[in-house]
Amino acid sequence: MKTLRKYGFVFSLYWQEGLAQRASFVMERFRALVVMTSLYYLWSALLRNQTSFAGYSRPQILTYVFGMSLLRSIVFASRTDEIAMEINQGRLSGYLLKPVYYFVYTFSRDLAEKSTNFISSIIEISGLYLIFHVVLAWPRSWQTWVLFILAVTLAMFMNYLLNFMVGCWGFWTSESSGPRFLLALIMEFTAGAFFPLDILPLHIQHILQWFPSPYLVFFPLNILLEKADMHQIINGFTAQIIWIIGLSLMARLVWVRGSANYGAEGA
Amino acid sequence: MKYFRIWWQLALMSLKTQMSNPIASGGYLLGKLFRLVFFIVFLMAIFRHTSQLAGYSLEEAALFFLTFNAIDILAQLFFRGIYGIRSIVRDGDFDYFLIQPTHLIWRVCFNTVDFLDVGTLIPVAGAIVYLFKRIPGLCTLHSAFLYSVFLMNGLLIAFAMHLAVAALAVWTQEMDNTIWIYRDLITLGRFPPSIYDRPLRLAMTYFIPIAVMVSFPAQAALGKLSWHALGVAILMSGLSLIASLSFWTFATQRYTSVSS
Repeated sequence: MKTLRKYGFVFSLYWQEGLAQRASFVMERFRALVVMTSLYYLWSALLRNQTSFAGYSRPQILTYVFGMSLLRSIVFASRTDEIAMEINQGRLSGYLLKPVYYFVYTFSRDLAEKSTNFISSIIEISGLYLIFHVVLAWPRSWQTWVLFILAVTLAMFMNYLLNFMVGCWGFWTSESSGPRFLLALIMEFTAGAFFPLDILPLHIQHILQWFPSPYLVFFPLNILLEKADMHQIINGFTAQIIWIIGLSLMARLVWVRGSANYGAEGA
Repeated sequence: MKYFRIWWQLALMSLKTQMSNPIASGGYLLGKLFRLVFFIVFLMAIFRHTSQLAGYSLEEAALFFLTFNAIDILAQLFFRGIYGIRSIVRDGDFDYFLIQPTHLIWRVCFNTVDFLDVGTLIPVAGAIVYLFKRIPGLCTLHSAFLYSVFLMNGLLIAFAMHLAVAALAVWTQEMDNTIWIYRDLITLGRFPPSIYDRPLRLAMTYFIPIAVMVSFPAQAALGKLSWHALGVAILMSGLSLIASLSFWTFATQRYTSVSS
């Protein structure tokens, strides 16, 4: 209980910090709004003279556009870029001396970032929903909501593990920002955070399903849209759990090796 | 000639800085190239399910996307210094620029030259040439001329917008993120403007002239612009330039040194 309160306090601190840096926060949300608006218009234009596109009805594709904006704010919003910085500047030493688990500390910090973005994203989506009078494809059963929330939670944790591991590159190089930029782009595009992955040719879809990214956005949204059958849902959850176990082991290994290599430069 | 020599020196210094961080620079360059490839794949995936997007074929839609990239990359290549304007002002370098025997705008714009953009500009230019050959009726001197004229006009508007951002930073010593608002807004020009509804199209033409900047070159080359649009383009770039130059003068006249 005491431990929970400690990390709850970290969450609260970073929540306040996120809101204190209003310009950066507003900028980030503005960017998300522009992406969502342009994609809304793009898909609306594609469905102007037809009732469906690549198996998606107009309400389904617009639900996908709004849903992916929401998931970007939960799954991709992260402060793990600070991990590499803290290692390179020697600030990690401070955390190592404190009675905190760095992994849980950074996860609490990430949750704070995700929650502020999530609330903002809900407001933006509601605004656009009212302005454009969008008809959405709401799930027909409550079980869909439960499965969707579960898939999003696992996706969020999967992406956190991946980002934590990438942040740990800071143990070996002070130039990890470039590779992180590259990886973030690849992850976003192959996660379905810009378009549904099933509009791609089948052979590309088959290759992508062996990577973690489709289970971050595309899979949860497929559940929400009730497009995935029971077989696909079981496969998707199995893949998410296997990836979480695999990434946890890798993250642990990278952390152990990296911290053994840590020299506290700049501290 | 003197200005070219200064630019060359600043560019070499920037290149050396980037070369001293090969992993980071390589990651950014690859990221930019991947982003380009992914969007082309996205467009191709869309056109697997339809034959046209708001009246445009795959090649024509790709021309809009690549033109957006060309303007964006050229603006970053030539006006990259503006991205660091706040730190230039905050660290006192702006005072130092003021006493140098070079034009202040030139010095600020070229303070940094991002050579990674050359790496992305080459494939974009190659793809644009390829599309000119591939799209029927586009491989003419007339189309190429119109495209070039509107591209230059777009660059002038991009310059005006960058200058306005720089002026705002000099005036307020804040607004770190303003340039990113511009970067985000111009992404609306990635797709043909006809996908947007009329009020947004009008705003993109007359209020913040994103469409004039990134969509008009492709529209002109494809023969989808009237002579009236040429007038609008010249008017908008002229007005943008006059407004941002006036704002720059206003801001620099009120600059009283910050840190030195």
